[in-house]
Amino acid sequence: MMARRMRGRGVAASWYGIARTATIDRAGAWAELDDGGTAKVVTGVTEIGEGILTLLAQVAAEELGVRPEDVTLGDNDTARSPEAAHAGATRQTYMIGNSVALACRDARAKLFAEIADHWDVAEDTLRAFNGELWAEGSNLKMTMEEAVAVCKRRGVVPVGSGSFTAHGTGLDPVDGSGSPWQAYVFGTQVAEVEVDTITGEVQVLGIWAAHDVGRAINPRGVEGQIEGGVVQGLGQALMEDYQLDKGHTTTHGFAKYILPTSLDIPEITSVIVEDRDPLSPLGAKGIGEPALVPTAPAIMNAIHDAIGVRITSLPATPEKVLAALKAKQQSEQQRQAAE
Amino acid sequence: MSDFEMELEVNGRKVRRRIEPGQRLLDFLRDDLNLTGTKEGCGAGECGTCSVFVDGKLVKSCLMPAAKAQGTKVETVEGLAKPGELTPVQRAFHKTGASQCGYCIPGMVMAATSALRENPDAGIDEIKERLGGNICRCTGYTKIFEAVELAREVIAGRLNPATLEADPAGESFIGNNVRRLDAPSKVSGRLRYAGDMVMPDMLHMQVLRSPHAHAKIRSIDTSAAEALDGVACVITCDDVPGEDGFGVFVHDQPVMARGKVRHVGEAVAAVAAEDIATARKALKLIRVDYEELPGLFDPEDAMQPGAPVIHDYAPDNIVKHIPVRKGDVEKGFAEADIIVEQTYETQQVEHAYLEPEAGIAYVDADDVVTVISPSQNITHHRHMLAHIIDRPINKVRFIMSPVGGGFGGKEDMIYQGMLALAAMKTHRPVKLVFTREESIIASAKRHPSRVTYRMGLKKNGRITAASFRMISDGGAYGMSTEGVMRKAAILSCGPYDIPNVQIDTYGVYTNNTPSGAFRTFGGMQAQFATESHLDICAEKLGLDPFEIRRINMMRDGAVTHTQQKLGSVSLARVLEAAEKASRWEAGPVGQRGPVRGDLGGEGTRQPCTLGSRIKSADGHNKEKVA
Repeated sequence: MMARRMRGRGVAASWYGIARTATIDRAGAWAELDDGGTAKVVTGVTEIGEGILTLLAQVAAEELGVRPEDVTLGDNDTARSPEAAHAGATRQTYMIGNSVALACRDARAKLFAEIADHWDVAEDTLRAFNGELWAEGSNLKMTMEEAVAVCKRRGVVPVGSGSFTAHGTGLDPVDGSGSPWQAYVFGTQVAEVEVDTITGEVQVLGIWAAHDVGRAINPRGVEGQIEGGVVQGLGQALMEDYQLDKGHTTTHGFAKYILPTSLDIPEITSVIVEDRDPLSPLGAKGIGEPALVPTAPAIMNAIHDAIGVRITSLPATPEKVLAALKAKQQSEQQRQAAE
Repeated sequence: MSDFEMELEVNGRKVRRRIEPGQRLLDFLRDDLNLTGTKEGCGAGECGTCSVFVDGKLVKSCLMPAAKAQGTKVETVEGLAKPGELTPVQRAFHKTGASQCGYCIPGMVMAATSALRENPDAGIDEIKERLGGNICRCTGYTKIFEAVELAREVIAGRLNPATLEADPAGESFIGNNVRRLDAPSKVSGRLRYAGDMVMPDMLHMQVLRSPHAHAKIRSIDTSAAEALDGVACVITCDDVPGEDGFGVFVHDQPVMARGKVRHVGEAVAAVAAEDIATARKALKLIRVDYEELPGLFDPEDAMQPGAPVIHDYAPDNIVKHIPVRKGDVEKGFAEADIIVEQTYETQQVEHAYLEPEAGIAYVDADDVVTVISPSQNITHHRHMLAHIIDRPINKVRFIMSPVGGGFGGKEDMIYQGMLALAAMKTHRPVKLVFTREESIIASAKRHPSRVTYRMGLKKNGRITAASFRMISDGGAYGMSTEGVMRKAAILSCGPYDIPNVQIDTYGVYTNNTPSGAFRTFGGMQAQFATESHLDICAEKLGLDPFEIRRINMMRDGAVTHTQQKLGSVSLARVLEAAEKASRWEAGPVGQRGPVRGDLGGEGTRQPCTLGSRIKSADGHNKEKVA
């Protein structure tokens, strides 16, 4: 006889491709080192919640030698900014992040050329970080505000542009062969569940999520993406179900279409693995979509570990879990009777 | 205008206004007072984005008639702190990264503030309970819980307020937990999403949608609607000047139904009027003569020869078939010691972003047709709209407003075309905001799938062959189905080195709500089958689940199912990282039993049980909260 509440664990691995599939993806950006040691970066996307604007400010700050809060982002407008294309396909960090890095390097090179000449030092001795610019091996140092002013007095506005591409090839129409992405990420999640064998209810108590992101630009942001992906995966695993009756939905609001809320949330332990991408100037890959992939199968495998039944049709509602348990008991009874 | 004059206090200021009877408190705050920090997510009291305080009690302002607020003190997210300042709760949300798209966040901040006002010492279980009426679709709630606990500690004086400041720069801004730049505008309700925007002389749009899954349109009579006072224009497919059709891959969807409707909820006509009520009244005056056609509701029925045809260009109802072949699958099965077969199903899933679709279109002084909306692909939308309205690309402009959650669901241009046409016809700004119900019936879903899996393995766990066949319901329009089928096929058999594979994915037209892009783009459906299947195989072979994955995993230089040679493969590293972090206790699938050391330890929460977890507050530091 099974105890009322049974616990179990399951694991699932996953892989995912970064940026648009089986095509030549590309994105452009503009950058300018501006008065006061500030910076302007222009790109065609805006925030959909993943944290791209903060990430771009970090990248621009790092590349230009200013602080993230000094960066003004001009975004989101087809008439005012270069092509960035879509906010999806786990491509924002990879495509826009890298194009902004290249644009900033271009702008920085123009500033450095002027300052090197001004100081009469070699360009490759110049470093800039956190609002200051200095020449290595010397005591020459100035603020970025002064550096931009010097550059402009010499008649140069330090502007730059960048274009980044991720080369994929189309798939052969017969055997599907091709190289759809230049960067792949891998992930593994372990789920721990408790199943109530009387009600059929499954609670996910813990998720351990290990994901390769190439390089974490903002680790807290990466965790946020993993946590959000896990909970969407949990929703699909256990409760979400868009239902139609002859094309008419019967789940037309959140009273009928059930979403995870605060009491459904497992403790989530994120483990960030960094396998840098050699083709990316930043070394970063991405995490938006991959975080969701292994959650549902890890939960189904954990349910099996807990109560010995396998749910192969999502979602694993209490009704399905109870029906599977009943079927299992019946087949065991039949086997015992036969013995 | 009504003669009911209401007097109340809002964010500490006396307000006196004439209001419409029946107006919701939410509309009064947003439309009459321009306090758009309070958002509408569902209009049914289910999501909590519209939470405000009325006389100190947390209420959902979409459920409360404005007139009931007579004489009360109302506090909205804008009133929690002085302009330019943030409360400790808001600052804690900023610090922990608790806001992502931000649309649920004003409501979440109100609920969190309420939780700590009610019990400044609330523990994590009580905090979770008190946030239970607020839905967040982005964050997975974890950073929100962290924020509320952090705020609690700071307010109680157990943590230094400096904890809420930014981390030091260190040696690099890369790898630094720089606080989100957009968070202050989100936690304070200052950020304006498309539905919060207004323009002078703006019209309001409402859309007439199909009540039928599949029907021919014999005629549409808009004359009575056009004659209604306050209606500026009615548009149908006849107003499209260029090539009508949009879609992420195949342009099979007209801006509004052309000749027939293919799913319930499809746009048929739209009205732009001086106010929403007039636009809704006008919709009822549009006469559409439909002739119902037999509908297809299961992709396998749609694939049968002789099935009704949904799109003339695709007589077999197939949107896309993607085949992948590697090695010799029959030979691989012949070499196997066991062959394991199983079918898997996944359901249709709604994106459920908290921000329903919304937008404003106008024609600017330079004759540029401009659309502001939370579009996930302004570059592609600009191209498609230019063809649809027959204008040069530089006379079409898309502005991407802050997206209140997308997850792929805002890649389809399902309403921006109607807005542009109405703006062109009236030369006035036109605004449209979907209701939650409208968003659910008209927007794409995650593709449901049926996978038939066959895998051959040696006794030592090595996979010799796999055949994978997935049939997916694409619904009434192509949207992203082609790409979803491609990604599902490429990723299908997982990150495993399998010498012989035969993979087929089919996306099929039906008369169901269309399926489209949704976070993982087919990758989740396919790998759910693979990862479940591997465990079934491991059980039959007496293997630990990590072991069967390691035996077959791709390593550096592996060749994928599509015969791409990879460089570095990090799978071994992530397997080990998850195994270690979870303190995995090894053992064959199905044989590990309930008595073990790895259950219920660090990294798990307590299961929920019924009972009163909301303790009564002693209130000793109640006044310090916000």
